[in-house]
Amino acid sequence: MKNIVEIKGLTKKYSSKVALNNINLNIEKGKVVGILGPNGSGKTTLIKILAGLLRQTSGEVLIDGRSIGVYTKSIVSYLPDRSFLYKWMKIEDAMNLYKDFYSDFDEEKFNELLSFMKLERNMKIDALSKGMHEKLNLSLVLARNSKLYILDEPIGGVDPVARDQIIDAIINNYNEESSMIITTHLVRDMESILDEVVFLKEGNIVLTGSAEALREERGKQIDDIYKEVFGE
Amino acid sequence: MFKYMKYEIRGTYRYILGVLALVLILITGLYVYIDRMGRTGEISAIGGTFMGLSVMILFGTALATFLYIVGSFRKELYEDRGYLTFTLPLTGNQIVCSKLIVASIWFLGLGIAIGLYNILMVAIFAPVEVSLSELFREMSAIVAVRKVLFSIISGIFSIVNMLIIIYFSMALGRVTFRNKRIGGLWFIIFIIISILLGSVALTISDYLPYYLDLNTSRIGTLDSIRINYQINIDVNAVAVKTSSDMATINIASTIFNIATTVLLFLGTGYLIDRKIDL
Repeated sequence: MKNIVEIKGLTKKYSSKVALNNINLNIEKGKVVGILGPNGSGKTTLIKILAGLLRQTSGEVLIDGRSIGVYTKSIVSYLPDRSFLYKWMKIEDAMNLYKDFYSDFDEEKFNELLSFMKLERNMKIDALSKGMHEKLNLSLVLARNSKLYILDEPIGGVDPVARDQIIDAIINNYNEESSMIITTHLVRDMESILDEVVFLKEGNIVLTGSAEALREERGKQIDDIYKEVFGE
Repeated sequence: MFKYMKYEIRGTYRYILGVLALVLILITGLYVYIDRMGRTGEISAIGGTFMGLSVMILFGTALATFLYIVGSFRKELYEDRGYLTFTLPLTGNQIVCSKLIVASIWFLGLGIAIGLYNILMVAIFAPVEVSLSELFREMSAIVAVRKVLFSIISGIFSIVNMLIIIYFSMALGRVTFRNKRIGGLWFIIFIIISILLGSVALTISDYLPYYLDLNTSRIGTLDSIRINYQINIDVNAVAVKTSSDMATINIASTIFNIATTVLLFLGTGYLIDRKIDL
């Protein structure tokens, strides 16, 4: 199966601090991959390099066989871990922006997601709560029929009800032709949707493999393996 | 790129229109007061305070608007909105070009609107019995069309050049201290680059003192063109020498200024594409 993401010898340093240390990772098409690790493990750095917001210090990163650039940005649907929409916008403006820039944006799907999330098109962005922001951002990202979805902490900092809504939205709207990378440290909530897991610790991959195989091999849930790996 | 410009305009037009409304109201107030003062010859304390405050507000608004317009680029580098802008399928050059065009439109638009409004105020408060066609005939006899065109192009170039230096300074400031937000750093870099470019442009014009006479299209040294001139060096150090009846430009320094503007533009795009970490 062809890889959608190919990472070879990826290193990222911030001055003297090594955020990612010689990472090698391939992500197959059609897989949902969880990048798991505590805060500061390098998850967001890795995601931001894939999204084109950070430059690697060394190594090679390819998405769909191409270096990070305009093409990869056009096929990656990225959900940052913060409110990134322009504050002057209403939800409708944000939708129009996505329609204008991404040919794979599906307005009908977006409307369904908005309705599922109980959001209205005429709501102002700067009047939304944190949970509503997360829901809107996820609706925009999932409404694209992208080759690769990258979700950075999609359920971080939201209440349990919103958390369930977000996970349901991911499950219901995930396209099996696509691939998805999800970073999280809330493993228990996300475990059910992950095909593969990558455990990242202090910038190094310490464990990787199929979620199912790991569960069988160790006789534990991924959440328990996570505690075992990072609880030392 | 035009799609991005659309969102750039939509994000800033309310502020610009608000500023324009405030400025036009203050200008109207000033004209009304000056007109009344001219007729009565009285200067009241309230009137004087109003005039002083109005002038201060006008200057303050001009500065705030300038910072607001150029700050649109800075926000991309330092605020969360950069997570949207820099993940759009656009090159760094397209982003910079869009910002540049929209900022230039606002500066020119505000300048033209305020200029025309002043002419309107003069026409209302100090009407002169001259027909427009007569006025243009008189003006064209004094000022050459080429010179007017040159002034317009030179003005637009000055705005673009200044904006590019500012954008480059902001991007360079972000790259230099990538994890630190140092207030005003871009301004220090801007001043240094401006002085540097200005000095080089002047040195070049000294070493290569060949000028293009815009009225006659002749090229030569100032002596050979034999004009009475005074030296006006604009903020970007475009070595422009004008007299009341003609305008000349130093060819070498003009080429230098155009080349550096292009290089700084490409440099800003490069920094966005290859160097800036959010």
